[in-house]
Amino acid sequence: MTATTAPEAALGVLPRADGSARYSHAGYTVTASVNGPIEAQRRDEHPYEAHVDVIVRPAAGVGGTRERHLESLLQSSLSQLILVKNFPRCLIQIVLQIEDSPENDYANTKLVQASLNFGIMPALFQTSVLALLSAAVPMRATATATAVAIVLQDGTRKKVIDPSPREIEAAKSVHVLAFTSRDELLLAESEGDFTVREWDEVCEIAERVCCRSTVTKEGIEMMLDDEVADGPDTRHFLRSAVEDKVAADLHWK
Amino acid sequence: MAEPESTTATTSASLTFSRPVFAKLSPHPYLLRNLSPADGQPATRTNGRTPREARPVQINVSSLSHAHGSALVRTGDTTVICGVRGEILPVGQIPQFRPPSSQQQQQEQEQEQDGSSAAGRRELKEYDLLVPNIELATGSAPQFLPGVPPTPLAQTLSTRVYSLLHATGLVRAEDLRVWYMPPAAAAEGEQDQGGRMEGVEGSGEDEEAREQQLVAYWVLYIDLLFISFDGNPFDAAWAAVVAALKDTKLPAARWDPDREMVVCSRTETKKLDVRGLPVACSAAVFLEKEHGEPGEGRHWLLLDPDRLEESLCKEVITMVVDCSDGEAKVKSLEKQGGTVLGRELIRAFAGVAEGRWREVKEAMR
Repeated sequence: MTATTAPEAALGVLPRADGSARYSHAGYTVTASVNGPIEAQRRDEHPYEAHVDVIVRPAAGVGGTRERHLESLLQSSLSQLILVKNFPRCLIQIVLQIEDSPENDYANTKLVQASLNFGIMPALFQTSVLALLSAAVPMRATATATAVAIVLQDGTRKKVIDPSPREIEAAKSVHVLAFTSRDELLLAESEGDFTVREWDEVCEIAERVCCRSTVTKEGIEMMLDDEVADGPDTRHFLRSAVEDKVAADLHWK
Repeated sequence: MAEPESTTATTSASLTFSRPVFAKLSPHPYLLRNLSPADGQPATRTNGRTPREARPVQINVSSLSHAHGSALVRTGDTTVICGVRGEILPVGQIPQFRPPSSQQQQQEQEQEQDGSSAAGRRELKEYDLLVPNIELATGSAPQFLPGVPPTPLAQTLSTRVYSLLHATGLVRAEDLRVWYMPPAAAAEGEQDQGGRMEGVEGSGEDEEAREQQLVAYWVLYIDLLFISFDGNPFDAAWAAVVAALKDTKLPAARWDPDREMVVCSRTETKKLDVRGLPVACSAAVFLEKEHGEPGEGRHWLLLDPDRLEESLCKEVITMVVDCSDGEAKVKSLEKQGGTVLGRELIRAFAGVAEGRWREVKEAMR
């Protein structure tokens, strides 16, 4: 599948929104727009903090219960990152449009599905963080997410980073983990059949994918450890995407 | 409800409140004061429980007479009723129906020890054979208003239940299939349907026609209604789903070739074979500082939070474990909304979830 391709990102793709980003990785393409802080509706208004509103729109059809669940996950995670206390009675709106998702050729894909979608969670997460950075919304930390699946291969359990839909379907268990830039575990979603020890191993792999750039920056040789070589370096990617955008914007100087 | 104001005003001149008034006015300091008592007493929550104490579970099955299986689960003031109703879905009505091949069935026989097969899971998912729906009834809690579309909470809950139903393989597609044995083959079997046709058609049939035909599926409509809502809806809802499915008895169904429809027996029923006993265990993280930076100060892990505690906690964790095979197997883990629970705390939480599993297992009996 496309799982091996490097992630791509573009910031400020939508001219009218306060901030926007497009991110594509592992066959998923998501565009996000961020508006805020703007005036909140009366019922969403909170006297001490900003209300974070997340809307997920699927690639085709209208959103169902699955999108509501994704929204609630993102909402609870992003409101931990954004300095919501700085904007009482305000609204920060994040709209995520899924543009493309890898198709599973082996199953009849239905338009409306109720089950959890683990494959798309990292892409949604990364896009919303990039869009928030693009909108210059004050945040206490950034965060990165990754998906790991445990698949049964030749009798042994193998861990796959950024699994394809086919791998997710056949997997013993699927995990999505998000870490903040302070290496704290922000979100953990797992499903399937696994032991606590397996989860711990998955957590370690995800931590390596999400939090690696700190290690490389300190000058530790990364080429020696061949396990580190697999999987994208998400945090570094996030940083370089923003740095590129800033460099391009300041080009006139 | 708040006590009459006159009592507070007359008993003391200073500005003191009775407990309910304090709880209403400033819930966060109220809970914090309860959790960190000044005089060295053990920490208790506002509901009188210790932080790691869950509410006892009461389960009552078969309380609905018109459902094929039902369960009423009560934990404290959270009460949920679950009804399972089976309906026949003839395969002719399924668009893009792909009959399972005989090879697949053989594979399933082999994989049976291994839990549900991939093909069976595909069938359950593709034909939507399990349809959970959750309703948070008006009046179960003050925040649920009448005449509004399903709240995000109800939608999220039903997605989680749906996803977990498929992931745990609680119900297998094999139990939901309705088969028909064409007469020639049935003559050899012991089915009374074929018995009448005995000897009418004999040796001329080829192998394919003799194979069992899949004529219909049972679709299980799993409806959950919250009668009263006092926090921790997922644990109660999931316990109700498991208890109701374990209680489900589907009528014996057979294909009537003359009327070309599936007919069900009035008396004969078959119990649904439910594998394993996954139990959900939730907790919320209460932070000492209401307005400070997250991660500062002390924190408490409150098991089985009630409505007041849920409104004050942002970080929640739900772990679904199944220890029925002896070893603790995690079926689902969901943690969101904060950064307090790291790897060590989540590992430790697995032990708490196992304890909860034993409690619920006792209640299921």
